[in-house]
Amino acid sequence: MSQFLSSPIMHNIFAGLAQGVIYSLVALSLVIIWQSTHVLNFAQGAMAMFASYVGMTEIDRGLNYWLCLVLSIFVGLLFGGFTERVLIRPLYGKPEINAIVVTVGFLGVLEAVAQAVWTSTTRNIATPLSQIYFHNQGRLVLLSPFVIFQFALAIVIMLFVAGLFRFTDLGLQLRASALAPEVARLLGVRVNRMLTIGWMLSAAVGTVAATIVASGSFGLYPSDMDGILIAGFIAAVVGGLESPVGAVIGGLLIGLAEQFILSYWSADLAPLGGIILLVVVLMLRPQGLFTKSVSRRV
Amino acid sequence: MKRLALFANQGATSSRLVGVLLLTLLTLAITFVLPPVADSQLASGAAISIVVLGLSWLIGWSGQISLGNSGFMAVGAYATGIWAHHHASSPIIFTFVLAMAVGAFSGLIIAIPSTRLRGPYLAGMTLAFSAAIAPLAQNYTSITGGEGGLFFNTLTTPHWFLNLFSGQNATIDANAQWTADLAVVVAGVTFFFMANLFHSHTGRAMRLVRDNDVAAELVGVNLPRTRTLAFVVAAAFAGLGGSLYALINATVTPSTFPLTLSITLLTLMVLGGIGTLSGAVIGGIIYAFSSNLVGHINSLTGINPTSNLGANMQGIIFGILLILTMLFTPRGIAGLGPRFGRLVANRRRVAPLATGE
Repeated sequence: MSQFLSSPIMHNIFAGLAQGVIYSLVALSLVIIWQSTHVLNFAQGAMAMFASYVGMTEIDRGLNYWLCLVLSIFVGLLFGGFTERVLIRPLYGKPEINAIVVTVGFLGVLEAVAQAVWTSTTRNIATPLSQIYFHNQGRLVLLSPFVIFQFALAIVIMLFVAGLFRFTDLGLQLRASALAPEVARLLGVRVNRMLTIGWMLSAAVGTVAATIVASGSFGLYPSDMDGILIAGFIAAVVGGLESPVGAVIGGLLIGLAEQFILSYWSADLAPLGGIILLVVVLMLRPQGLFTKSVSRRV
Repeated sequence: MKRLALFANQGATSSRLVGVLLLTLLTLAITFVLPPVADSQLASGAAISIVVLGLSWLIGWSGQISLGNSGFMAVGAYATGIWAHHHASSPIIFTFVLAMAVGAFSGLIIAIPSTRLRGPYLAGMTLAFSAAIAPLAQNYTSITGGEGGLFFNTLTTPHWFLNLFSGQNATIDANAQWTADLAVVVAGVTFFFMANLFHSHTGRAMRLVRDNDVAAELVGVNLPRTRTLAFVVAAAFAGLGGSLYALINATVTPSTFPLTLSITLLTLMVLGGIGTLSGAVIGGIIYAFSSNLVGHINSLTGINPTSNLGANMQGIIFGILLILTMLFTPRGIAGLGPRFGRLVANRRRVAPLATGE
C-alpha cells in the first residue's frame, strides 16, 4: 500500500488533483453565473484575486489566517453583488459582445489597480498548515496537511453550493429565475435580487479558489489568476457550461492532463493540457460532456 | 441592370481608393514634420491599426468575438523573425506576404473547431489559443530562441531616402521616418482592401450571418465557410500587423504579445468604433500616442510617473474607458459623428432608432 501511494503515477494523480480542484472551483463559479445571467465573466479570476488581496494582506496587520480567509470570502460576496448591480445589470438584453467587452475591461482595471496598490511582487501567505509532504514508511507521498485542507475546503464548498441549490428555498428561487425569469417573476420571485445573489455566490466561490492559490507555493500576485481563469473556463466548456458537476469534473481532468504532460513530456507545454482536452471534446461532443443536447433558440 | 450595378460599384471603389490614398498621403506628410520619437510611435500605431481593423471586421461584421488576435500577431511576428534570420536580404514584401499567409493558416486551424462555437465560448477558445503561444515559444527553443526570443534587423533604409536627411542624427532620423512611412503605406494598402471587402458580396453575406444566421442559410450563404473566412482574414491582418510590430522593434520574445495586448486591441477597437475603417484609424492613433496622453494626465493630476500608480495609469484608464464606452456609447468615437448628426436632424424629423444603442 505504501509503495502504491508513493508510486510515480500516484504522485502525478495527487499533484494533478490538487491543481484540478482550483480549476474546478473557478469553473463552478463561472457556471453559476452563466446559468443565471448567461454572461461569461472574464473578470472572474481578477475579482477573486482582488478580494483575496484585500482579505489575505490583513495577515500583515496580525489578523489570524482563518479570519483572513473568511474576510476574503466576505469581500468576494460584496464584490460580486457590486459588479452585477453596477456593471452587468445595464447590459441585460444587449448583444452578448457588450457583456464580454465590459468584463474584459473590468479584468484590465482590476489587475492594473492591484499592481498600483500592492505592486507586482509575489507575496507568500504564511499558512498555519504545513506544506511539507508526508512520508509513509520513508517514502514520499505528494500530500501535505495543506493539500488535504485544500481538498476538504473545495469539497465543502461544492457540497454547500449543491445543497443550497437543491434543498433550500433560496436555491429554488435561484433556479427558477435562471430557468424561466418571466414565470418566476409572476410567481413572486424577486428575479433581479436572485441575479445579484447568484453573482455574489459565484464571486465567493471564485475567491475561495484564489485564497488557495495565494496560500500555496505560487503565492499572491496581481496576474496569478489569469492562467487559472483560462483553465477554469475550459473546464466549464468541457463540462457543458450548464452543468456544475461537469465543471468540477472538467477542472479535475485538466489538472490531471497538465500534470501528466509536465511529467512525461515538457514542463513548458503543461498549460496546453486544457487546450488539447478542449479541442478533443469540441470535435467529439461540441455541446460538452455533461449537457443534454439542447438546440439554440433562433 | 447588371451593368449599371457594376458601374456603380466601380465608382464606389474609386472613391474608396481616393479616400484611403488621401489619408495615407496626409499621414506620410505628417511623418516629415514629426520628431523621430513620434515617428516610431506612429509606426507602432499603424501596425496596431491593421490588427484592430482585422478584429473590427471579425467582431463588427461577422459577429464573432476573438480575444486571440494577439496570438495571431505572435504567429506573424515569429514567422517574420524566423524568415529574417535565414533570408535577411529578401525584399520586405516577401516577409509581409509570408507573415499574412502564416497568420491566415493559423487562423484556419483555430477556426475549424472555433466556428462551431458562438459568443462567449468562442471568446474563451481564442483566449486559450493566445495563452498557448508563449508556452509553445518557450518549449521549442531551437526555432523560437526560447525565453530570450529572436533579434533581427532587416528594415534597411534605402540610400535615396537617407540622402534626404542631413545633420548630426541624420541616420537615426531617416531610419525612424522610413519605418513609419513603410508602416503607413502597408496600413493604407490593407485599409483599401478592407474597405472593398466591407462592400463586397462577402461583406454583405457576413452581415447577414451576423444578424440572422437562419435567414442567411435560407438564401444560400454557406455558414461555416463564411465564418471561417472571417476568421482567416482577421488572422491574416493580425499576422501582418504582428510582422510589422516585430520589424519595428527588431525583436520578438514570448512576452511581446501578452494577454493584456488582447485586451488593449479590444479596447482600441471599441473606443474607435466597432466595424468601421475610421474606428481602426482612431484606435491606431490612440495606441500610438496613449503614453503621451497618460503622461499628460499624470502631470495634470500630480501623480509621480515612476510611482506604482503612475506606471499603471494606462491600464486603469484603458479599462475604465472600455467599460464606459460599452455602457454609454457602444459605437465608439467613430459613432459619435453620426450621432451628433442625428441630434441635429432630430429637430426636423424623428430619426429611426439605431440598433444597439
